[in-house]
This record gives sequence, C-alpha cells and structure tokens, in this order.
Amino acid sequence: MMWDDKGEEYIKESQHLINQLAVLIRTCLIHSTENVAVLKAIERFLEIIHSFLQENESLRIDLIGEFFYINETRVKYPLEYLLNFDYLSREFRRRELGTVVFYPNVTKEAIKTFISAFIKSGYSNTPYESLEAYLEKTDSIHIERLKKIQEEGEIDRRRIVKKTYFNAVSFTRGVMNKLRAGEKVSIKKAKRIIESMVDMILQEEPLLIGMTAIKDYDDYTYHHSVNVSILSIAIGQKIGLHKKALTELGLVALFHDIGKMEIPKEILNKPTPFTEEEWQIVRRHPYWGARTILKLKGLEKSSILGAIVAFEHHMYYDHSGYPKVREPKALDFYSRIVAIADQYDAMTSSRVYARVPLPPDKALSVMMERAGTQIDPVLFKFFVNMVGVYPVGSLVLLDTKEMGLVYECNPLFADRPRVMIIVDSRGNKIDGYIVDLTEKDDSGRYIRSIVKTLDPNRYKVNLAEYLL
Amino acid sequence: MAAVEELKDFINHLIKAKKNIRLYPENNPVYMKTLEEIYSYLKNLLEEEEDLVFHIKQFEILHDGEVIYKNEDKDESLALFFFKDGIRELRFKKGIPLDEVEDFLKIISTDFERQMVDDDIVTLMWERDFQYIQYVVDDTILIEDETYEEEAVRQVKKAVSGADVLKAYQEAFGIEKPSEVSIVPLTNEDIKNIVQQIEEEDEDKSLKLIHLLFEMLFYASGKGEYEELVRYIKETFNYAIGRGNIETVIYGLEKLRQSLQERIYPPEINSLLKGVEYYINSSQFIRLFGETLDAGVEFEEKDLYRLASLMSKESIPHLIAILGELQNISSRKTVIRILTEIGKKDLSLLAKGLHDRRWYVVRNIIYIMRQIGNRRIIDYITPLIRHPDKRVKKEVLSALGELGSAGTVQLLKDCLYDEDETVRITAVRSIGMLDSPLSKKVILETIQDKRFKDRSVAEKKEFFKVLSRWRDTDTVDYLISLLKRRSFFRKTRVEEMKAMAAYALGLIGAKEAKELLEKYRNSKNPLLRENIEFALTRIKNDVG
Ligand SMILES: [Fe+2]
Ligand SMILES: [Fe+2]
Repeated sequence: MMWDDKGEEYIKESQHLINQLAVLIRTCLIHSTENVAVLKAIERFLEIIHSFLQENESLRIDLIGEFFYINETRVKYPLEYLLNFDYLSREFRRRELGTVVFYPNVTKEAIKTFISAFIKSGYSNTPYESLEAYLEKTDSIHIERLKKIQEEGEIDRRRIVKKTYFNAVSFTRGVMNKLRAGEKVSIKKAKRIIESMVDMILQEEPLLIGMTAIKDYDDYTYHHSVNVSILSIAIGQKIGLHKKALTELGLVALFHDIGKMEIPKEILNKPTPFTEEEWQIVRRHPYWGARTILKLKGLEKSSILGAIVAFEHHMYYDHSGYPKVREPKALDFYSRIVAIADQYDAMTSSRVYARVPLPPDKALSVMMERAGTQIDPVLFKFFVNMVGVYPVGSLVLLDTKEMGLVYECNPLFADRPRVMIIVDSRGNKIDGYIVDLTEKDDSGRYIRSIVKTLDPNRYKVNLAEYLL
Repeated sequence: MAAVEELKDFINHLIKAKKNIRLYPENNPVYMKTLEEIYSYLKNLLEEEEDLVFHIKQFEILHDGEVIYKNEDKDESLALFFFKDGIRELRFKKGIPLDEVEDFLKIISTDFERQMVDDDIVTLMWERDFQYIQYVVDDTILIEDETYEEEAVRQVKKAVSGADVLKAYQEAFGIEKPSEVSIVPLTNEDIKNIVQQIEEEDEDKSLKLIHLLFEMLFYASGKGEYEELVRYIKETFNYAIGRGNIETVIYGLEKLRQSLQERIYPPEINSLLKGVEYYINSSQFIRLFGETLDAGVEFEEKDLYRLASLMSKESIPHLIAILGELQNISSRKTVIRILTEIGKKDLSLLAKGLHDRRWYVVRNIIYIMRQIGNRRIIDYITPLIRHPDKRVKKEVLSALGELGSAGTVQLLKDCLYDEDETVRITAVRSIGMLDSPLSKKVILETIQDKRFKDRSVAEKKEFFKVLSRWRDTDTVDYLISLLKRRSFFRKTRVEEMKAMAAYALGLIGAKEAKELLEKYRNSKNPLLRENIEFALTRIKNDVG
C-alpha cells in the first residue's frame, strides 16, 4: 500500500497496527505459537508492518505518556480499540518497554520470537532485562526501555498548566462581570481558551485535573466553572469525542452556572446552609442560565446546546432534581456529562452549595450510589475509570507509614496513583516528592500501597501548597 | 536552503491563492489551478529542507532570519493577518498531502469580516488538526488579567496556612479503613453503548430547545419574561425551518396547540402563543420555508402533510406568492402539495391565485384545484378558458373534463376550433370525458366540418379515438359510411379519413365491419393499410 496522501487511511492503518499487536499478544496467551489463529494474527501483523516499511526504512513504535507514536506521529485514540490500546500500554509499562523498532528484514519467525519473549518476560522480576536477553539474536527487531518523564521538565509543564488554568478562571470572571454590566462578550476568545484546555487535557491531563482539586479560593464560583469544564472535557476525551466536540462540551460546561449571576452574592457565598427561601432562589439558576445564554448569543448551535445544558444540569438522570418539568424528556448527552463533572466538583468543595466538603474518595462513593438513578451509570463508569479509586487530592496513608496526597491518577491502575509524600515513615513533615505506587521491588512486590484515606479538609491539608 | 527569491514568490502566490480560493467554487478551473500551484510550490521547497518554517511578525514574514515579506497595510498584510490571532510561527512539513494544503488555503481565505463566524484562524486550524502544518501561538493575547494568578495563589496559600499535617498523621493510625469504591472495568458493551450515543447525537437540537422553552414558561414571571420566551419559541421555528428541520416546527406547533387547548398557561401567555401560531402562516415564515426548499432540502410526505394540517388558510396567499418565486421545480412541487391540503380550507382564497400575472402560477393553482377535486371550482376556472396562455387553457380544459357536467360541453365546444392544435386535442379529450350525448354530437359535427380534413393526422386520430368511446350502431354506421366513401379528387385526404375510420372501428372492435375492412387490405396507401391491419387484428383478437 502506498500513501501519497497521508490522511485518513494512514491514521486508520496506524490504529490497526497497535490494535493488531494487542490482538496478537492476547491470542498467543491462549494458544501456542503454531496455532492457526496465532499464525493468522502474525500474518496480518506482518502485512501491516510491511505496508509501513514500504515508505520508511524502519517502523518505530513508541509509548510516550498515555499515547503510542508510530514513526514519531501520535496515534489517535480510537474508541473501538480502547480496551486493546489500554491493554497494550499496560503490558508495555509492566515490562518497562518504551520502544519497539521493526526493520525490513523482519520475518514471521522473528515476530514469533518477539511475542513469546514478550509473554515470558511478563513473569520475570526484571522483565525488561529478560526481554532484552530473549531478543539478543533477533537483529530485525530492536527494543528500548521506557523513558521516565523527567522531573525537571515537570516544573516547566506545571507552570504552563497553571497559566492555562488561571487564565481560564480570570476569563470566566471577566465574562460574568461583563454580563452583569450588560456588556458584550467575545465567544471567539472563549473558544480559544477552551481549545488551550483541550490541548492541555490531551497532553497533561493529570496535572490539569490536579488543578481542579484545589478548592480554597475566595471566589470559588469561577473556579467551579473552569473545573467543571476541565472535568467534562476529560470525560469527553475518555469517551472518544473528537476535538471540535470537546470544545463545544468545554464551552457549554464553562457556562453551565451562568445563571448564578442572578443570585445575590450574600446568598451564594454564605458559609452556613441555605434557608428554604434561599434555596428557592438558588434553584432558579438553571432557568436564568438558559435565558442568559440565549440572550448572549441569539439562536445558533452552541447557544442552543448551552441553554439546554444550563437548564438540565441539576435535573438528574431520573428527573428527581430541579427544575421540575411537566413532560420529562431524556436529558441531553452533554447535560449528563456536565452533571457528573458538576456534582463531583460541587461535592468536593465547600463553597458551591454551602455544605461541608467531602473528601474526593467519599464524593466518589456517594456518586456511585447515585449511578443509575441520579447519574447516568455508563458515563459514570467512564468517569470513575478516569479519576481512579483515589482521585487527585485524596489524603492517603501508605503501608510504609508514609502519608501523602494523590497527585496524579494512573488510568491503567485505578488504585495505584502517583502520590506526593508529605510525611515520611518516621513521622517528619517533608517537602513533597512524588512516588509512583506501581513501582515494585526486586522480588516483584509493590513498594508502596494505600491503606487508609483521610479527610483532607479536616486538616486543611491539600495540594495547593505543593502544586501552586 | 531555499533561495530568498523563491520564498518571496511563494508568499506572493499564497496571497493570490487566498483570494482565488474565496472567489471560485471547488470545481472551477481557477480554483483547481491555484491549489495545484501552491501544492507544487510547497513540494519543491520541501525537496530542499525537511521543514519549511516561517516566522511571523506584526508586519513581516521571515524565513531563517531573513525578511521575505513586508506589508504594513492593515487590510492587506498577510503577516498581520496571522499575527493578530496570535500566530508567531508556521511550519510546513515534508510530505504534506494535497488535502491539507487545500484545507489550509480554505481556512486562510475565510472571510472573517463578512461571515459571522465565532472562529478565528487559530480555532479553524486547531479544529482541522493538521498533521503536516504546525504553528506556534502566543496565547498572551488571551490573557484577561495578568495579576489574577498571583492573587488567587496568595488566597489559597493563606487559606491552607493553618494546615495541620502532623495531626492528620497521628490520627491516621487510629481511624478505621474505609470502604473503597470498587472500580468496575469498562466492558465492550459500555463502549458500544457510548459509541452509539455519540453517533445518534443530533446536529440540530432545536427540538429539545422548543420543548424546554415550553417548560420554562412555567417558571417565567411577568410580561417581559413571557415575551422573551415566546420570542425564542418563534426564533427556534425560524432556526429549524432554515435548516430543513420540519420536525421541530411540527413538534412546537403541536405543543402550542395542545397548551392552548388545555389552557395550562395564564391568559397573557396564551395570547402571545396565539401570535406564534399565527406567525407560521405569515409571509416571513413562508418565505424562509421557500428559501430552504430552494436550497435543495427535501421533506417527507407525512411531515409535509402534518405541517399543512397545522397551518391555517391565512397562509394561502403567501404560499401562492412563493410559488411564483421559487427557482426549483421540486420546491414548487412541494408547495403545490401543501396548497392542495390547505387550499381545501378556503377555495375562494386559493382562487385569488388565478388572477396572478404569471401563467405558471395560474396553471399550478388550477392543477391544485383539480387535485382538490371539488365541483365548486368550475365557477372559478371557467372564465380562464379564454386565458391568453395556451398552457393555462389546457389546464382549464383538463380540469373541466374531470369535474364538469353535461352542460360544460357547450363551454368547451369553441375550443375544438382553437388556433392551437394541442388546445384542440385537450378539448376533445375533455369533451369525451364528460361523456354526454351532446359530447358525441359536438365531436361528430367537428369531424364533419369541411375544415377538419386540413388538420394533422395526429389530431384526427385523437378525435376518432375519442369518438370510439361510443360503441353504438350510429357511430359504427357513420364510420362504415366513411370507409365506403369513394375518392376521385383529393384522394390522399379522403384515404386519411378512411384510415381514421378504420382505426376507430378497430378500437370499437366492430365485427360487422370486418368484411369491408378486408377489402382495403392491399391499399396502396400505407397509412390506410396500417390502420386496416390494426383494426383487423383488434377485431380478430376480440372474437378469439
Ligand atoms: Fe448549577
Ligand atoms: Fe455547577
């Protein structure tokens, strides 16, 4: 196959390649390498490899962060192959395998050797080394160790993520102020800001989600809007929405609470619970929000979606929320996504509805009980798989008697996030350093595991001190 | 390294392309030539280097530190065009395919001033997600408030300053291990479910909006809010019809009717809603509908029927108006179908269209009346029998043939002598359809008129065909007498009449004429021979 036009077809073929490699490994786990199914899978895999090798001197597959790259081009994340992609990246990581290069002289036999080496190395305590040893004599396939993301670059990345985040918040504050003053608002700019957040989520999802875990701002309303937007985009990305749809989703999520503009600040920022009268006012914000959005933009695609989401975001999946309607109709797909992001962020912060904030893991278990009634159960499943058992910001005690804050979730190991250690095993407070709970010792046992979670709000311990 | 001159040339071509791509449609040779030119320029330039990088300054474009373009004109400058949205660097990579070049040209030739777009170049490039064109953007143009970050961080740090990490640590050992959220792994079923939901997402969510606007009316208070929401309902109708989404309009109208009937809203809202109900019959709405039709949108029969049943007779004049203005035949057909439904509600309003100065509108209205099939229309259309346009005349004749009574024959008689042959043919057919003794009489008279022989064979044939409806002995005798006629002078004309008589006898299947017909079997006149053959075959088959 020739690609004069490296468009759709090239992208598809790249996805097939990754998928086929996963299929091949899984097939080999069930059957021997001489089985017909295995041989067929190898043939198909070779076919795809050769179509790439017609154009290039070698075929290089890299795993960098969450993504596979083929000859340095990122492979787009195809939803239909999601499970295989996840599987393959998990297996690569387990072996600390970061790169596989195939050369034109690659044969069926070489592939067989590679696959059985890959499988066997999975049982070794030093998987990468044993993989390397098995492949010593195979010159048509070359491997490289998985590169650890450098700590130094991390500071720089953090700076950019912070800038994007705070800029989105200050923009949102500007929009609300302008609307209050009856001024015009630029949608062009809003779109650009959402786009920069979508880019961040594609590249730096854990860090940006980490930013949403900080709640102690004076004017939380604007941060809430941005957080809901970030979490919604992250769900959208997880379920495979394309970039343009992610922007639309991010935009309507950003404006979901715009109706709160009409609620007097004394009520909104009140530290004590709302009275019944105050609740009645608060419950009108979806109605106000839908109207504000239509007024702002007139009728067009994004304002229609925005108005729908603003009106529906508290209705709940089973219509048991508010506003109550005469003739319930299934909630819009986007409303259901935004509702999950909204509930999570509202529950984990003290200022959205003047209640006691829940620790992230508690909020998640409360939401779990609501899945299927108040919350769309399938979308929630995607959400939990995204944030993990211990979402970012959770305060955790480890079996090493260290204490830390969950810093980044690991999409492949829901209960093994990266943790920032803030108290060492002797009980000394220390400057945070990050550990990965998937790390193992020489005998193959995990070095650290979570044993308990605590309420970070109770001790005013949170990521702010370390992230900002 | 590409020569500076080459690069300057490339930029100039890019500027030209920016105009051409905007001006010409995709299938135009200029468009195609422009695209190919830029593509081959890029290919050549990329022969020499891996990446082709341009740095963008406010009024200048640089390559490898050298200025290759400079223009300070605010409207014309290509540098400023990229610069103002924040683009600081453009990079074309080796191997760039034609479709990326084309989409890039389309993006830069967007008329950002004229088209009311909410996108800038960066947004469009971002959405397109090029693989071979990269750009560096300076996002500081987006920064709203530079001091915000510092201020927010200060607030948070102050808020968490009372953090008691060690207390947390001490207490941690005392608490019980809480129950965890168990992670349910995603299954293929979940993924299929989501993929399906994404696929089923509507591009146009106006139906849901209408639904919610009606719900929002329950939360509205005061005249201002009522008016605002009802105005949105009306605007949603416009939005939906403009996109060919007739379901939304139907849904909205049905909802509106139902709420008026059940009186679920206060009277003030009801009167506003009545305004919207009336609005769909207005010239403004119907014109929008017409524009959508002419844009090539097609609707399902059942939806059109539904819409028509929800419209009132007030819409008739406006529908007639667009009937005269629409460009496409298929759009006119759609309007005709709607008018056929609504026209029933008021024939006299529909009949006003008969005075339209455009002949085709008049003919369409008559056609619609024929479809409606009410005998009352005879009074409206009869005067049009003298319409100057023969196409209208024929439509009238057909309509009268279908719906008229014995008395109508008298009206149609004159048309058998119309100067236009097609009119005469239509007239004789209609007279035949009316099927009264007078019909036969009038037709026979015309055939026997001395002017009749001069008419064309085709017309004569039509007359005889109509005459053959009457299978009585009178007719057969007459036809036989025609066949027996001898001819000394104007032989061809007479034989033509004989041929026609044979044709009619054949259509009737008159066995009694068989012997006579056989006599002419070997006539030298081919027309006569052919019709004799036709008649004999028919008679034989009839008997057999
Ligand atoms: Fe809300
Ligand atoms: Fe909210």
